[in-house]
Amino acid sequence: MILGLSFPQIVELILKVLIFPGLAFPLLFAMIVIWFERKFLARIMLRIGPLHVGPINRTGLFQPIADFLKLIQKEIIVPDNANKFLYNIAPIAALIVASLSVAFIPYALKPDGSYWVIYYTPLSLLLILAIFTARPFIMVAAGWASNSKYCTIGAIRAALQLLAYEVPIALSLASIAIMSGTFDLAKIVEAQSSIWFMILQPIGFIVILIAMMAELSRRPFDIPFAEQEVVFGWPTEYTGAQFALIMVSEYFDLCSVTSLITVLFLGGWSGPAIPLLNDISPILSGIFWFLLKMAILTVIIIMGRGIYPRLRIDQLLDAGWSVLIPLAIIQIIITFLTAQWWLPLLGGV
Amino acid sequence: MSVMKLSMGPQHPITGHFRFILDVDGDLVLKLEPDIGYTHRGIEKLAEKRTYLQNLPVIERVNSYCDSAGTMLGYLEVIEEVMGLEVPERAKYLRVIAAELNRIASHLYAASLFSVATGLETMLMWTINDRELILDLLEKLTGQRITYTYQTIGGVRFDMPDGFKEEALKRLDYLEKRTEDYYKMLLWNHTFQIRTKKVGILKPSDAIKLGIVGPNLRASGVKADVRKDEPYEVYDRFDFSIPTGKNGDSYDRLEVRFKEVEQSIQILRQAIKDIPKGPIKRWAPPIVPKGEAYTRVEAARGEFGYYLVSDGTMKPYRLKITPPSFRNLIALPHLCRNVPLGDIPIIYISLDLIPMDVDR
Amino acid sequence: MTDKSIEEKIVDSVKAKFPEDVIDAKVQRRNRVSISVKSNKIYDVGLFLRDELGFDHIASVSGVDYIDAREFEVIYYVWSMDKKVLVGLRTKIPRDNPVLKSLVDVWEGALYHERETWEMFGIKFEGHPNLSLLLLPEDWDGPPPLRKDFFLPETPQERLEEKIKRAGG
Repeated sequence: MILGLSFPQIVELILKVLIFPGLAFPLLFAMIVIWFERKFLARIMLRIGPLHVGPINRTGLFQPIADFLKLIQKEIIVPDNANKFLYNIAPIAALIVASLSVAFIPYALKPDGSYWVIYYTPLSLLLILAIFTARPFIMVAAGWASNSKYCTIGAIRAALQLLAYEVPIALSLASIAIMSGTFDLAKIVEAQSSIWFMILQPIGFIVILIAMMAELSRRPFDIPFAEQEVVFGWPTEYTGAQFALIMVSEYFDLCSVTSLITVLFLGGWSGPAIPLLNDISPILSGIFWFLLKMAILTVIIIMGRGIYPRLRIDQLLDAGWSVLIPLAIIQIIITFLTAQWWLPLLGGV
Repeated sequence: MSVMKLSMGPQHPITGHFRFILDVDGDLVLKLEPDIGYTHRGIEKLAEKRTYLQNLPVIERVNSYCDSAGTMLGYLEVIEEVMGLEVPERAKYLRVIAAELNRIASHLYAASLFSVATGLETMLMWTINDRELILDLLEKLTGQRITYTYQTIGGVRFDMPDGFKEEALKRLDYLEKRTEDYYKMLLWNHTFQIRTKKVGILKPSDAIKLGIVGPNLRASGVKADVRKDEPYEVYDRFDFSIPTGKNGDSYDRLEVRFKEVEQSIQILRQAIKDIPKGPIKRWAPPIVPKGEAYTRVEAARGEFGYYLVSDGTMKPYRLKITPPSFRNLIALPHLCRNVPLGDIPIIYISLDLIPMDVDR
Repeated sequence: MTDKSIEEKIVDSVKAKFPEDVIDAKVQRRNRVSISVKSNKIYDVGLFLRDELGFDHIASVSGVDYIDAREFEVIYYVWSMDKKVLVGLRTKIPRDNPVLKSLVDVWEGALYHERETWEMFGIKFEGHPNLSLLLLPEDWDGPPPLRKDFFLPETPQERLEEKIKRAGG
């Protein structure tokens, strides 16, 4: 008995922290999604994408690993007048904040009634919202600490964009909390056992999908990385391993965001039980459905990069403040007014 | 916030080899000043030390990677006007074919740069891909992909190879169908329209006063094209129209270019069908008699002006080249006053300024 | 009485307005008119061309160095959209003191053209808002390059020979 946990519980904790959904899972997710994004966008653009690096011929599966290894062994350059502490801490902080949300999201339902989550708390929705609001500070710190005009402009634009789009996210989460009556992510998934919230709150789903694309700085909202205008925005001065950390933290963010949306709107791990997987372990079919929904959301978010041009900063802020926030408020009002129709549809509350 | 001086330097992902000095206040650009001369090679001075025939590759490099056939055409026109030389018919048709193919390639290149400036990389790949088809055709005709030295004093150097006509017609049909794809993906893309409509509006009276030429002038609504105003070569025998735009904003400038591609395809079809048989070159004496002339040709970016003063020797006494991008350069400070910073790449790319053209 | 062509009409109206300042005005060919004026009157003739005759689209400004006659010739080429005629407004100025009034107020598009002619030939345009180096590098301290007495070495051999010749050996 260590720390009040029995031996099987310690094994389970180590499994959760190290493999799924702990360290290995976002890393593997990042590698696969980077590869998939490059191939998928290449096919949209009538190109082929990575070809050579990897076990299977002509697929380039290990290309992201090769890029990562290349970046790690490059020299780390710190600009002369940079604020050394902030400059060096920003990429690490970005990675930590990005991977922190994963600790509070439940990924499966165990047969004994508890959940497969690293740390269970009944306030997990509020915690994740608080973690998301920490992201603009890291960008501003990195951009300002680099002591370069381009980085400062890029950082301020990034901060403006992220602050503008956090309000619609918070409002959508509020409407979910109203509908399910709890801040507990696990209970929210159980409330969707008969019907998903995406069908009950379609406007909220669209709002949070668009707002999350802006939070992640994905095309058409990737002004912070607007290469054509300010070279590369706030991470311009970073090279080597720090650059790799920043790029990987973007995909860690993608992992936590898609997990969050799956839990809130797509019913989490609910789905018909798959007999093959259930023989190995009863939670595997829940995890399979969870991963499938995350994959579909990822494809939708990535597709924006091949189709849309970039929006200008004031058009982007316009869209956030004057379109998404009213839509989110309308969703809350509709949720209140139609309460008598959806209340009996919720399960397990 | 105080006014910050920002320098988009010669090595920048979007400006090519230009340098702009911007006065930026927050997100608003108050003033833009172009600082040109990074690729100045002194072609006018070099031309005075070489014979007319030796000048052919030099003049072509005024605008090498986009529109070299149109550039060369003006130089040859001015020499032939001073000499009084009449080029055989087949050579005129071949010159027109090379120039129009080059115009299509150049407009596709301009469209690809435009899509990069707005952030739509898909269109970049598609247009560069299709430009390859045109460059393949030109390689069959001239032996080179980008700088041809195909036209020479008195005609052209090589004849059309066998099978060129069918191949060209096939590719032109494909390109015409593809233009529809471009419309759907780029021009009718809602986000693209938000980005480019009402950005950088150039009024027609301003455009004429500043001396703007080419698709930029036509997008503002002025019907001015050297091929119709002063037909040279055999342009007066073809049936084509001059597309114009309505508002003069960046969207119109791109749309006019796509419409011109369609018109070029028409001209090419007629030229390939009607080309007569005959010699492709007439012997030209190496000495050009005393005289002077000014000719204008319509390259892809606008009107090229060549002024030649010859003193009866084998080398030109004074050759002055007025490229279209140099004349369009003045539109840039005029349009970039009190605009948001995000509009600067859009305005610059829509004017289609090539640094080598401007600097010579 | 045959109808005069539009180029001849232009020549006649310019000659009628400035009888003693126009040195030579003639029709070179179709769509080309050449008008040669005295250098102190070029501003007024330019204004007349722009306002009365409708020549408002400037095409090119070029200088030519006639070193044997010891003079520069500056030519303004302007185009009219409706008449479709190109007029070459030319004037000669002495080579030792090349000064000319700037026509930027008449044709705004001549801004960069005149600047380039200044840096390449050394012709000073009075009234130009910003006569500074345009195409040449900022640290250029030599003579204006397009003058005929500016030696352009093509090979290192030529440069060496010119240096020896200048040193007097």
